[in-house]
Amino acid sequence: MKKKSFLNRYSLLFVAVAFLTFGSCQDDFTDRPSEDGISLDSYYSTDDQVSSATNGMYSRTWFQMYNKFWWALEVGSGNMYSGSPDVSGLRTFSLNGSDPELVNGWSSLWANVQQSNMIINFLAARVGSGVSKDVLNNTIGEAYFMRATAYFDLVRLWGPVPIIENPLDYTSNPYVNTNPVEDIYKLITSDYLKAIDLLVAKNRGTNYANNGHVSKGSAKAMLAKAYLYQKDYAKARAMAEEVINSGEFKLLGGDQLPGKSFGDLFTYANNNNEESIFAIQWKGDGAYGSANNCNTQFGFQDGTLSTSNASYAGVFGPSQEVMLSLYGAGDLRKHETVMIGGDTYPNIKTTQGIGFTVPSGKDLAQASGGAIKKYCIGVVNGNVTGQADGWAMMDNNTYVMRYAELLLIHAEAVLAGGASTSDASALSSINAVRKRAGLAALTSITFDDIFLERRKELCFEGDYWFDLGRIDKAKAIAIMSAQNRGDRYGERHYTPVYSEDHATNDFYMDYPDNEVAKNPKLLQAPVPYTFK
Amino acid sequence: MKKLMTNFLHWNANHRAVPLILFLLLTSNFITAQVKITGVVSDDKGMTIPGANISVVGSKNTASSDFDGKYSIDAPSNGTLVVSFIGFDSQKIAIAGKTKINISLKPSSEDLKEVVVIGYGTQKKKDVNGAISSVRSKDIENLKQVSIDQMLQGKAAGVSVTNNSGQPGGAASVRVRGTTSITGTNEPLYVIDGVPISGDATGKSTSGQTLAGKDGFSASGGSGNTAMSPLSMINPNDIESMDILKDASATAIYGSRGANGVIIITTKSGKKGGGKVSYENYTSFATVTNKLDVLNLSEYATLKTNLAKLWGFQTRQEFSHPELLGAGTNWQNEVYRTAISNSHQLSFSGAKDGTSYYLSGSYLDNEGTIINSGLKRYTVRLNLDSKIKSWLRVGGNLTGGITNERITVNQSYSGLISNTLLQSPDIPVRNIDGSFAGPPSSEQSVTYYNPVAEALTRDNKLVRKNFLGNVYAEADIFKGLKYRIEIAANTEFSENDDFRPSYAWGSQVNLLADLDVRRQNWYSTNIKNLLTYDRAFGKHKITLLAGQEANDSHWEGLIASAQGFKTNSIHTINLADVDNNTITQYKGSASLSSLFARIIYDFNDKYSITASIRQDVSSKFDPTTDNQKGVFNAISGSWKLSNESFMEGTRKYVDNIKFRVGYGETGNQQIPNNSYSAMLGTQNSGLGSGFLPSNYPNPDLVWESLNQTNLGIDFTLLNNKLSASFDVYDKKSKGFLFQVPLPLYLTGGGGQYGGVSAPYSNLGTMSNKGYDITVGYDLRSSGKFNWDASLVVSHYKNNLDEIANGIVLTQEVNTNGYQPVVVTNTTIGNPIGLFYGYKTDGIFKDQTVLNNAPIQFGQAVGTGAGETALGDVKYVDVNGDGKIDANDKTFIGNPHPKFTYGFTNNFKYKNVDLSIFLQGSYGNDVMNLTRRAGTTNASLYDNQLVEAMDYYSPTNTSSNNPRPIADSSNNNLLISDRYVEDGSYLRIQNITLGYSLPQDVISKYKISRLRLYGSAQNLYTFTNYSGYDPEIGSFNQNVLLSGIDNGRYPVARTFLIGLNLEF
Repeated sequence: MKKKSFLNRYSLLFVAVAFLTFGSCQDDFTDRPSEDGISLDSYYSTDDQVSSATNGMYSRTWFQMYNKFWWALEVGSGNMYSGSPDVSGLRTFSLNGSDPELVNGWSSLWANVQQSNMIINFLAARVGSGVSKDVLNNTIGEAYFMRATAYFDLVRLWGPVPIIENPLDYTSNPYVNTNPVEDIYKLITSDYLKAIDLLVAKNRGTNYANNGHVSKGSAKAMLAKAYLYQKDYAKARAMAEEVINSGEFKLLGGDQLPGKSFGDLFTYANNNNEESIFAIQWKGDGAYGSANNCNTQFGFQDGTLSTSNASYAGVFGPSQEVMLSLYGAGDLRKHETVMIGGDTYPNIKTTQGIGFTVPSGKDLAQASGGAIKKYCIGVVNGNVTGQADGWAMMDNNTYVMRYAELLLIHAEAVLAGGASTSDASALSSINAVRKRAGLAALTSITFDDIFLERRKELCFEGDYWFDLGRIDKAKAIAIMSAQNRGDRYGERHYTPVYSEDHATNDFYMDYPDNEVAKNPKLLQAPVPYTFK
Repeated sequence: MKKLMTNFLHWNANHRAVPLILFLLLTSNFITAQVKITGVVSDDKGMTIPGANISVVGSKNTASSDFDGKYSIDAPSNGTLVVSFIGFDSQKIAIAGKTKINISLKPSSEDLKEVVVIGYGTQKKKDVNGAISSVRSKDIENLKQVSIDQMLQGKAAGVSVTNNSGQPGGAASVRVRGTTSITGTNEPLYVIDGVPISGDATGKSTSGQTLAGKDGFSASGGSGNTAMSPLSMINPNDIESMDILKDASATAIYGSRGANGVIIITTKSGKKGGGKVSYENYTSFATVTNKLDVLNLSEYATLKTNLAKLWGFQTRQEFSHPELLGAGTNWQNEVYRTAISNSHQLSFSGAKDGTSYYLSGSYLDNEGTIINSGLKRYTVRLNLDSKIKSWLRVGGNLTGGITNERITVNQSYSGLISNTLLQSPDIPVRNIDGSFAGPPSSEQSVTYYNPVAEALTRDNKLVRKNFLGNVYAEADIFKGLKYRIEIAANTEFSENDDFRPSYAWGSQVNLLADLDVRRQNWYSTNIKNLLTYDRAFGKHKITLLAGQEANDSHWEGLIASAQGFKTNSIHTINLADVDNNTITQYKGSASLSSLFARIIYDFNDKYSITASIRQDVSSKFDPTTDNQKGVFNAISGSWKLSNESFMEGTRKYVDNIKFRVGYGETGNQQIPNNSYSAMLGTQNSGLGSGFLPSNYPNPDLVWESLNQTNLGIDFTLLNNKLSASFDVYDKKSKGFLFQVPLPLYLTGGGGQYGGVSAPYSNLGTMSNKGYDITVGYDLRSSGKFNWDASLVVSHYKNNLDEIANGIVLTQEVNTNGYQPVVVTNTTIGNPIGLFYGYKTDGIFKDQTVLNNAPIQFGQAVGTGAGETALGDVKYVDVNGDGKIDANDKTFIGNPHPKFTYGFTNNFKYKNVDLSIFLQGSYGNDVMNLTRRAGTTNASLYDNQLVEAMDYYSPTNTSSNNPRPIADSSNNNLLISDRYVEDGSYLRIQNITLGYSLPQDVISKYKISRLRLYGSAQNLYTFTNYSGYDPEIGSFNQNVLLSGIDNGRYPVARTFLIGLNLEF
């Protein structure tokens, strides 16, 4: 049974070769760098790469904040009305920590904080030698600006939250305590100051494409608002005056730009106009959460007449108060803010063509009998509206701050908590806003004048909830309980309960339930932050 | 081994032995009458047996049958031959002057000769040291399922299978001995004719892209259940056997990919004897097993009018006389249909002159029970094996499959099932003019759409073209040593077009039609070099294996979206508004390089040891470190008690008793590519595109490793009539891979929304302990009547032993109304994926009780909005801190069954065969979110279950259902034990009655078999579950989301008739 032949030797050789061949190329064989993504460590070698690093932080990162949660706050403030069960929790002041839109808003703000942190902490070490210092500085400045802006929303909505300057410190141990409100404002102030230092100076010209990125002036304007919230009127006034004196921004339809109007502020063609201080720069790109949802959520649908590209419209409507009594006669802003039966809009395209008259005696948005006009730009109409994406979202900007508000901040900072003022600079600021609205100049102003002017000017822009949150609580509760929070069929009144212990309804939101479940320390008393 | 022996002997006979034979022939006359005896050795069925040993009593003469079973031997004409072969009773035959003797051997025992596939080799079942379950084609031939994973249900101990969807082609969840890992999919590795295929239906560890479905509102399932079975491409009829390697001593040879178990699938090959043609055809009729009791129009009008009054909203004029309204639209009747399916299978097989072949083709047209859903499949297969030289065998298995599916969105708030249940009955299906109807006012419906219109006009097609094959060559090098090279490739092209037309269904208007187009393809190649040395030295038997394997996979895809079509009739992107097209592409590859070795040693057929080692190098881990390399060891042994001499006395009753013990290590690497490094994700804005970091890197990532210890006993008694196997195991996964569930304040929601996704990490330890029992009884009657039965019972207990930093693993699903809610949690010391929420204690019916109860969610007692009133759910203060808040959430149910079982009975009487298969699950809970959605009572415009009409009010204080609140996130609707139900069930899974025409009738027509049969599948389910079906499975194969019914496509009841024809 001896078994040996020529073929055996060849087979063995073949086997040996095969093993060697496949065994030896192992090192390369199992190195598979990404074929469709860029690795963080191998990017940022040119000015262009560095300066575009923050582009994404002008839209996607803010989406979940400036989507339905933002308007749910306007339902809370009494400016909007909605019966849609997913966004109407604040109508009755019964929003809780399991509310998905609340979670979305929270999540979005932290996305901004952490993306800013990534740039602040790591960008400088990763840029190539070919990148200019100015470009790098401006990008890092933008990151400080975004972080401060996100924390400003966080502190106003939730009060004490954790200060996180470098997320990598916490990825293996995420159980942080919250930090006190004062510390958060300290961080916000310091971030805006760094942003002012690092960002480029700008003048907002007629080439709107160049106006999109924030500037020194943007950071100063935001800082003025942050100082106002801290009642540091002197610094608020100084900051606001720096912005005013720089001439960087102008009122659209104001004395310097008489060819435009208040209504032009909310059109697609006027994205990044001269009045825009910081705006979200939406761009539909096929992914959910890239564009502006306003046009489907606002406006109305009545039978086959619809202002929306989607199968629905008017998830939010105006409150009865805003529709019927907020604006006085002659206030040009009313027609551009809210649609009322009989109003005509000759330039807006609907499902029935260009131009329409709002039907009277109909439910329209949420049985309010009217609809929200601001940010509603109608059915896709070429360059007038830009495109809509798969969710019917569009590319019109959302303002975070515009110059009109800065002027009102200035007036308030000059008033400085006093009973009234006739200071010329304060009057000049508030009257510029009033003049554009077609209203007479005031000669003396109180806080309530400014407060009301803010509500009318910034109605549906998401600010009134915060305004109510920074005034005396008893007064705020009185205002809100007096609001008609019903629809056209019936008046409804609800009273918010304010308590210091955070246990019942108040002006701070609950922390999201899931976050508390992951980190129960969120519910503990805040711990002072040690700044580095 | 046996073939090898034949070769040598055959070769010998032809060359070396010639002089000897000549010598013997020449000298024979002088001694006794030596004659040359020739013949064929075959088994009782006429199959020839190569390698059988033929010897002459009282002589040293031996011979061996050749490849065709032929032998020739010289023996005295009055002598006696002894013929023996492994697995057969040896036989003595008196020569009595004959020169041609054909010998038919009887198998010594069915079970003892059974061969199982053990990974890179085969072994006799009686010799196996590991825990392996085998399913043969005859065990599953009556189960007419689209894909083979579904057919394993209840057929193999230790394997639990749940269908995730009743949709044709939908994926099943297959768990071998419980849940091993909480990452990836936990699906076993399938090895089809040597080609490894991941059971991952979600593509998570490759492209991360599903085959169909656009991700919508959230990562937690906006687009519903999108998992498509990777096995639905394989024609189940082509399968000869499935061997499930369960314990790690068996799977360790698959190293890094074996942690979830390995299912080795062998397809059919041609059998000895003349060519055979088989044809099978069946037609089936399927309907949903039950419908849920939703409100008819008059009930709906009553309920909604009452709610409007309760909440102070305007009541609807048209509902003022509900008693005059009819039943309205019964959406379930409109959407579900009797689905008719048809299948044709044709195969040709045979073996001749050392070549065996199997050629098959199949066509399946499987309608879904939901209108406009279904699957068509075409497959072809060619298996060829040929011994082209005495020392060389080559062969190949090639298969191609094309499936064409119409997909329905299910398991989602926007899914068709939810739309069907919750669409209001006052909306007709169609308007008078024939167009689809919708709510007349936009107030009346935002979330739900006309499901019939949705099903008929939404055109969501998935075409998959899969080609899989391997070629091999096997050479005998010298005695006992074989070399085998195997090259395999697998590729799939898939095309998904999802067109959502523009429409006006009442006030629901979609102005712009959308189209999503996905073109994806992947391929993988696999090369193997194996050296096997197999020899016996006296009582010592040894099998050595050394091998090398390399696996390389690549994937790529284009996903385009377009909008603004001028027509609904043609669905291509060129007809869309050019300004609104978006397109994206992805691409990637992964590789695995392995070396392995195994030794099997057996002494005297009593004691046996198997040991193996494998080293894998994976591209999933940082190539600059040592983390890529993993080494996996295993050792196992067995003792055949029944072969000991002191057991002689028991032979009458005991055929075989064997004890097994084994330990092994395996790994898991099913994570997305490049998790070890930080990647930049594209984020667009009006300022242009930019890149933001999309994940936190973890360069320290390493293999998840799994250690398993197995103890088993096998025995067969009473002439093999009774057989049983019992295995206990202890399985521990260490450093399991998981994406760290960081709080949102660190991730910002992850890369999808511009945040930074949490890193993957080796997080913790999990264990599964359990047992598998298989008991079989076979009458083994050769008479008219025979009966055989088998019972399999599986039990496992899952436990999370430790996890880094006490991280919380809560999981969310989207419920109706855009709201993701946490439904499960996983904590140390508990099984994973337990239902998580509030405990309830009825509802508040007594003001004093309410006043004294712990404050619920900071709400004051009162009847205003945001206050707790009579009729609200009374939650239990679990932590006893005197208030109800998120800290009172606790475990409220367990989706893991206490045990699952399957019971098969086959009866045969004359030409009639009957098979009854029962299958079930005991002790698992189901979270019924469909019932939650059907009882929210939070809106005036969605339909509800009939039970929603009974709610607490001052005039109906006996109700135990909470008062309605017009807010879909109100506290009464929090996830609580109110929605948890017992999911135990016993199902009559299959009854088949067949009749084979008598041989004497059909043989006239040269037909060897003609069988007609009728079958009922999923005939009846005994359960207390109130939803469609208690068998839920996992949502997109996510093990942490098991047993959650969120509008799942129900599994149908099917009646079918068919015929088998062979000639």
